[in-house]
Amino acid sequence: MKQKLITIGMLLVLLAISACGGGQAATGGAAASGAQIDSSGHITLEFWFALGGDSGKAVEDLVTQFNQSQNNITVNATYQGGYAAMMAKVWSAVSGGGLPAVAQVGAAPLLGSTGSIVAIEDLLNGENSFDRSQIPEVFWDYNRAGGKIWSMPFNQSVPVMFYNRDLFKAAGLDPDAPPQTWDEVIEYGKKLTQDTDGNGAIDQWGFNTAEDNHWYLSAMLLSNGAQIVNAEETEVLYNSPEGVAMLALWGDMVNTYKIMPPNQHNEAKGDFLAGKLGMLLDSSAGIPSMESDSNFDLGVAMLPAAGDQPRRIPVGGASLLIFKNANTEIEQAAWTFIQFMVSKESSLFLSTHTGYLPIYTSAADWPELQSYWEEHPNRRVPVDQLQFAVAIPEFPALGTSDTELRNAMQAIELNQGDAQTLLDAAKVAVDKSIAEGSSQ
Amino acid sequence: MNEPLLKPTEGKRNAGAAYWHRPRAMLTNALWYLVLGLVAAAVILPFIWMLSTSLKDAQEVFSYPPTWIPRAWRWQNYLDAWTAAPFARYFFNSFFIAAAVTLGQLISCSLAAFAFARMEFRGKQFLFALFLSTTMISTQVTLVPSYLIVKNLGWIDTYQGLIIPFIANAFGVFMIRQAFMTLPRELEDAARLDGCGRLRFLSQIAIPLCRPVLAAQALFAFMGNWNSYLWPLIVTNRQEMRTLQIGLRYFVSQEGGTQWGVYMAATVMVTIPVILFYFLVQKGFVESLATTGLKG
Repeated sequence: MKQKLITIGMLLVLLAISACGGGQAATGGAAASGAQIDSSGHITLEFWFALGGDSGKAVEDLVTQFNQSQNNITVNATYQGGYAAMMAKVWSAVSGGGLPAVAQVGAAPLLGSTGSIVAIEDLLNGENSFDRSQIPEVFWDYNRAGGKIWSMPFNQSVPVMFYNRDLFKAAGLDPDAPPQTWDEVIEYGKKLTQDTDGNGAIDQWGFNTAEDNHWYLSAMLLSNGAQIVNAEETEVLYNSPEGVAMLALWGDMVNTYKIMPPNQHNEAKGDFLAGKLGMLLDSSAGIPSMESDSNFDLGVAMLPAAGDQPRRIPVGGASLLIFKNANTEIEQAAWTFIQFMVSKESSLFLSTHTGYLPIYTSAADWPELQSYWEEHPNRRVPVDQLQFAVAIPEFPALGTSDTELRNAMQAIELNQGDAQTLLDAAKVAVDKSIAEGSSQ
Repeated sequence: MNEPLLKPTEGKRNAGAAYWHRPRAMLTNALWYLVLGLVAAAVILPFIWMLSTSLKDAQEVFSYPPTWIPRAWRWQNYLDAWTAAPFARYFFNSFFIAAAVTLGQLISCSLAAFAFARMEFRGKQFLFALFLSTTMISTQVTLVPSYLIVKNLGWIDTYQGLIIPFIANAFGVFMIRQAFMTLPRELEDAARLDGCGRLRFLSQIAIPLCRPVLAAQALFAFMGNWNSYLWPLIVTNRQEMRTLQIGLRYFVSQEGGTQWGVYMAATVMVTIPVILFYFLVQKGFVESLATTGLKG
């Protein structure tokens, strides 16, 4: 009998759980719709953001500043995981409902085809217009898909080359003259790659990239004039001679010149901070943390060029987008919020509190930034690099393309094929994915 | 049934003493302890490294050669971690959800397992196969459909959205069914003759006898839910409904900028309850193994 009572008691507890949750649903329902207007016309917007750590704190601070700057709109900012988790969440909500009013999303323009976002391009010239020419065209390219601008550039980054000035000095290299071309990277890398304890195994490497990310390989391919995809976005083009030469060079850095350890990209940042790596390609967004986490003299250089060709540097980062709402007042409020988030003041705030770039063409002339750069000279490098920035087109098979490039990278490092064969195979796979996507 | 049929083996203990006097056995034992020691070290080292990192400042985290004992102990990391997000609320949510799911699974799994193990009904084999087949569908496949169901029930941002989908667990049913099937038929027949109903047999005889298996299932359920990340992230939008794992992820920056010391301090805080729970349940394992007395 006693046991029976316990069983019944447990079931009652379960019932109670679902009952107390029922109360939550009533309050949660409003938040799930993404925005609401109360009787006095005050608008509350839900904003999902994807940055954690110090960068996330800066985004939250900007939202607080916006809420304090006016009385008509209140924005609730909630963190939704990194770019990948955010995408999973947004896709679930696109199919099932429960979208916020505004979100910060990586590869944002690809959501344009879902029909659930408002094209920023239409708002730029609307009644609450925004002068597009203030922001470099490359950032607009980054937010364009199918010929239309879908999202607003917000936190943008470029890859840069971090280097350890102390190791440069120890290897007899001039720390004020970092390598400018890939050939020089190899030359410097050979001097930096050392067996410091003399046990026959290399324990200090010359060069590496912060992740086995396609971003760095793409940067190399682009620098030699290779293209990622054709203008019609029907086929990828990186198996061209320019592309093949660069993948081969990537492999040579591992297998011929031996300045980069094979497939150890995920440990590279730790190695660099431990003083066991001379040069590291990483996102410019990491400059502040790299400065605070390193106990050596840190240098930041522009991404190398291929021979005497101009540099070409792919931009990265995330954008802000507005989800459609039946009430245009809410869409307009979201647009007001976005304009605040990308204003010159906010851009200055974001670029001095995180490693992200100021997104205005005029930024290099801002006195606040100039005095900031005097104290933090490394922070100037990504901005100087902007003149060479390019945007990799956001085509629907980009995810497949990124995976294929990464596979090619891993294979060439392990000597599992020659560059031409690997990139040809990648092209076949990606083109197939493009064809399947367009036939649906 | 509460009286053990076999006293814990005094005889064996004496045998053990003699055992230790045999040099070959000693050598074998020493080797075993060496292997066990190495495995234990492999398991415990990451935890020690986590503790060590949680007390380091940013510059020491990656310093080479690595330091096991921080140069200057930075307790501030713990304070920073605790204040970075509403962790008290996250703790409550994670604990409440994991405990509710564990309780729910133990009830639903033992009921279902009992039916599959000891009762005869039409379509039993088919239903059981159907049940088991659900373990072969990966969570990624069911993520969006599950979200749609929860969304349509209006359960976004609620505890039931986080708890109810996990109350039934096919693997748990399978595991407990296997345990119930080992109970001798005679035991049930004897109980029935004395007027014991099915539910009473389940709650007073079968479950106590299979306590180790239920403890194992409780452990799986609790840990699985304590550690779950994607589902809570997807079905909650508000800060107050978030769990510890989402709170932890907030310390990781997208493109660099992770404060490893603070992150590890938070991880220590999040890991300790699970370790405590493990030891709690582990004691239950051993006790119930010692008292079942049905073995052999």
